[in-house]
Amino acid sequence: MPERGRRAPTKASERLRRLLVVVPYIVQHPGARIAELTSTFDVDEHELLEDLERLFLSGLPPYGPGDLIGVDIQDGRVWIEMADYFARPLRMTKPEAQALILQGTTVAGTPGAEGSEPLASALAKLRAGLGEDMAKLAEHVEVADGGRPLETIGTLRAAVRDRQRVRIEYYAASTAEITTRQIDPEEVFLAIGNWYVTAWDHRSDQERLFRADRIRSIEPTGERFRPRGLQGAGRPLYTPTPADVPIRLRVGPEGRWIAEYYEVDEVVELPNGAVEMVFPASRLEWVARLVLRLGPDVTIVEPRALKDRVREVASLTRKRYEPSSPDGVSRD
Amino acid sequence: MHPLERLVNLVALLLESHRPLTFEEIRDAMPEAYAQDETPTAKRMFERDKDILRDIGVPIQVSATDAWDVEQGYTIDKREYYLPEVALTPEEVSALFVAARASGADETFEQAVLKLLYGAEGGLLSGATPAPLAAEASATDPRLTAAADAITDRRSVRFAYRTSRGTESERRLDPWGLVFRGGHWYLVGLDHERGEIRSFRLSRVRGDVEAAGGASPPPEGFRAADHVQVGPWGPGEPEDRARIAFSPDVAWLATRAYREARVEATRHDGWVEVSVPAPPGDAIVSWVLSFGPDAELLEPEPLRREVVRRLEGVLA
Repeated sequence: MPERGRRAPTKASERLRRLLVVVPYIVQHPGARIAELTSTFDVDEHELLEDLERLFLSGLPPYGPGDLIGVDIQDGRVWIEMADYFARPLRMTKPEAQALILQGTTVAGTPGAEGSEPLASALAKLRAGLGEDMAKLAEHVEVADGGRPLETIGTLRAAVRDRQRVRIEYYAASTAEITTRQIDPEEVFLAIGNWYVTAWDHRSDQERLFRADRIRSIEPTGERFRPRGLQGAGRPLYTPTPADVPIRLRVGPEGRWIAEYYEVDEVVELPNGAVEMVFPASRLEWVARLVLRLGPDVTIVEPRALKDRVREVASLTRKRYEPSSPDGVSRD
Repeated sequence: MHPLERLVNLVALLLESHRPLTFEEIRDAMPEAYAQDETPTAKRMFERDKDILRDIGVPIQVSATDAWDVEQGYTIDKREYYLPEVALTPEEVSALFVAARASGADETFEQAVLKLLYGAEGGLLSGATPAPLAAEASATDPRLTAAADAITDRRSVRFAYRTSRGTESERRLDPWGLVFRGGHWYLVGLDHERGEIRSFRLSRVRGDVEAAGGASPPPEGFRAADHVQVGPWGPGEPEDRARIAFSPDVAWLATRAYREARVEATRHDGWVEVSVPAPPGDAIVSWVLSFGPDAELLEPEPLRREVVRRLEGVLA
């Protein structure tokens, strides 16, 4: 078995490895198109033809006409004969099998990822076929999915593909409100464990980023849009606005996760595992709820307005726990 | 003779031979490849070729050619060489292919997937569109592959770990499983020092995961995923459940995000009562408070009192 960290293989070995994968495909697909082969196996056409020519001169001893592999190339198609022993590919190496299990699982285990379900079933089928070691590893690799798959993502992807304007009901965490708006979705992408769609928002007449799991409902409007080339994957998740104020919180060890979960501008380590962090916010509503969530572990350094807002939210929340709340929402 | 031809011929010869062949026999069978030079030169070339083949995973075996163990011969066992047959559906093949071509996918993974395509429906993959980013976590992280190696080799591991609370310490673990959850990989196993099952997020491991001696096997029926937090309420699925009422604005959010959340009743005013697993600790309290006035924790009573206590702490 080859091990990781081996020396760089020579050119010939690279080509052999590729050939032992491409040839079985051609044997199983007589008359396969060259164009299909180059795109599927990501190989340069010139190199592929050169390798197939070499193959034509190969075979079994005594290398007479009846012993050589037959390669026929016509009208951009390939046929291979007399190579039954290459009708199936070489088995996976240990690093390949491991990569298949691990990388396959990262995609299969990401709710909303395209093809995550068929990928999971493919991995389950492959388990046994990857050798004893790998079956053992596969057995010990699990996915814990807290979330449910989101149909929203499929609808969004279709809308992006077809340039369909959609109407969404969206829960804006910043204001803790649901709004209805029409958006032109341009790219669906994953960042820090959540799916986002970058879109033109007709309600604010601006480019906006929406979190897919906060879209309550989605329906096509029937209108098409012309893409504006909005940036998706890799963009900052927070777009600064003129209304931004810096929020400075000091949290104990229990609150450190915030720095991993949100995009924060600054994290200062304090004694005993505490940190002070700074991030921008234009609305205080969601920050107030975050502060409530953190409980006694958090200190608001600035702004003062946040302290007032937290008290307001706490007071409103407290009312829910009185025998009969003022807006008519009672316990029973 | 071009090296590629020589290598292809060597694989074909050893695959089709029914018995181990000595170097002399190989040399006689492939005169153009190994008979052009003096024997030592040819032998060296053969050795190099053999290394190349092993490098790409061709299982060349060495065995005695006679009962007296006088001469060694080379052979490729067909059962060892060929990829076992696995019947994949067209959807499964496309999903594998799309994942392999996704931006950020690693080369070894792609090579593995290409090996699985030979049985695919013709033309199936020409239509496959370039995939969007499907997963963030890198499966080529050396900490992850080292942990996977340790599991298959049943070896214990040693690493420096920084908890989410910022404390750093040296850990020793019998690795029992890997869990992928919410974009992160976790290593689960028996923590030597604490004598308990613990889970570690690999991205919080500082430096390398090093192998360190043998490891105990996981107990019968062990499920690593049970030991990684799966919701705001903590690991596993405790028998106790909490009941929470959510406003119509957020009820769908709270129930959609977690498989374990069950809708119990919808009130006439639109508020929705939901039950979720409630382990000991106040994780549920924090989670409910994050919804502000849009949620009310109904049961159990001690947790409800804790919510009120926390709110009064803020208002005091």
